Amino acid sequence: MIRSNAKEIAVLNVLKNATSRTLVIAVVVILGCLTSARVFAHHGANLYDMTKTVELKGTIAKFYWGNPHNEVAIDVTDAKGAVVQWIAYTEPPLVMLERGWTRKSIPVGEKATMYIFAAKNGSNVGTLNRIVLSNGTELTAYDAPRAAAPAPAPAK
Amino acid sequence: MRRLLKGTLAVLLLGLVVAAGSRVVRAQGAKVPDLSGDWTSDRTRGGFGQSLSIADMGGRNRGNEPDIPYLPWAREKTLSEKPSTGPNSQFDVTTDPQVIYCEPPGVPHIYLWPIKTKFIPTTEAVYILYEIGPFYRVVWLNSKHPDDPDPQWWGHSIGHYENGDTLVVDTIGFNDKTWLDQMGHPHTEKLHLTERYKRVDQKTLELDMVIDDPGAYTKPWNSHRNFTLSDTGFLRYQQICSVRENQQFFNNTAKPAVGTASPK
Repeated sequence: MIRSNAKEIAVLNVLKNATSRTLVIAVVVILGCLTSARVFAHHGANLYDMTKTVELKGTIAKFYWGNPHNEVAIDVTDAKGAVVQWIAYTEPPLVMLERGWTRKSIPVGEKATMYIFAAKNGSNVGTLNRIVLSNGTELTAYDAPRAAAPAPAPAK
Repeated sequence: MRRLLKGTLAVLLLGLVVAAGSRVVRAQGAKVPDLSGDWTSDRTRGGFGQSLSIADMGGRNRGNEPDIPYLPWAREKTLSEKPSTGPNSQFDVTTDPQVIYCEPPGVPHIYLWPIKTKFIPTTEAVYILYEIGPFYRVVWLNSKHPDDPDPQWWGHSIGHYENGDTLVVDTIGFNDKTWLDQMGHPHTEKLHLTERYKRVDQKTLELDMVIDDPGAYTKPWNSHRNFTLSDTGFLRYQQICSVRENQQFFNNTAKPAVGTASPK
């Protein structure tokens, strides 16, 4: 069972949210995404705000390539100099391979900008929309037609 | 004389083999359809969707689909479920047995996953391979169901070819533990599923299904899936359900998102 403890989560959220609120750099409204059937392939309807993305600039701290979903962690420095880590997930490797991703697509330590559908409750998690690496490579995580799938970033 | 006898014997044996072979071919139909290739959901025609309902593939009208003839308990059961995906997903409290228990999706639920399907025909059976699990099914050709099959996850499947372009699969003997789709539509052990796989052109495969379950629905109902040929390779990654990996994912990305919204 992968159920959660509500009290434990509430405490964690209070601690996290105090910082996370200061880290939202920009919000981009994506019109029409609620009408996309692909949107609903994700687990986020009740947890994440799928109507807009949050932009995060920082350094890739972790890239987990595996089941049930890939995860990307990015360290973001806020206005006060504090580093806060955000985690966003993508669809599984089997799906992301079809979109041109590989396990080497996102090098740890890379400067990057992530656009995520963030948690409704303000915590530092979400589902990944896309990521732009420092060399300009854009990796689409979300509802990307195969023909438009970006090339994977060069392995380092 | 001995050479003549040997030659005659050889011809007789060859004739027996050919005759036996032709009986097999006749038994299996005149022509085996070419279902070769890797088949993935056709994104231009419905994609993998969330629901088996043709009228509501996105799952927005769960429990009220005009083309699903529910028995009352089945509608209530559907509405009581908490899908892990879809427009009203509740991942943190989902009742989806695949997510909670890592159980197999069964069929037809597996066709609502973003995976590829592959058909391996032999003279005695067609093996259907899936990228998730990885699971496979055996469709016994020109065979019969057991009189009283043990209820199992994938049921007991028999099949035959029609018109040289269609594989017909008839399955009974399901257990009642799987959902029919991502939206939690239930079924009972009375489920009788008929699948018709037809390659309509080189790059297109269509699947028509009849879901006949008098234990859950008032009459048989139809569903449909569209597949397109993929050239990106089969099973490039093993999509295996692991309770440990699921727990890690939940803890990292979902658990923090559960709870009261913080004040802004």
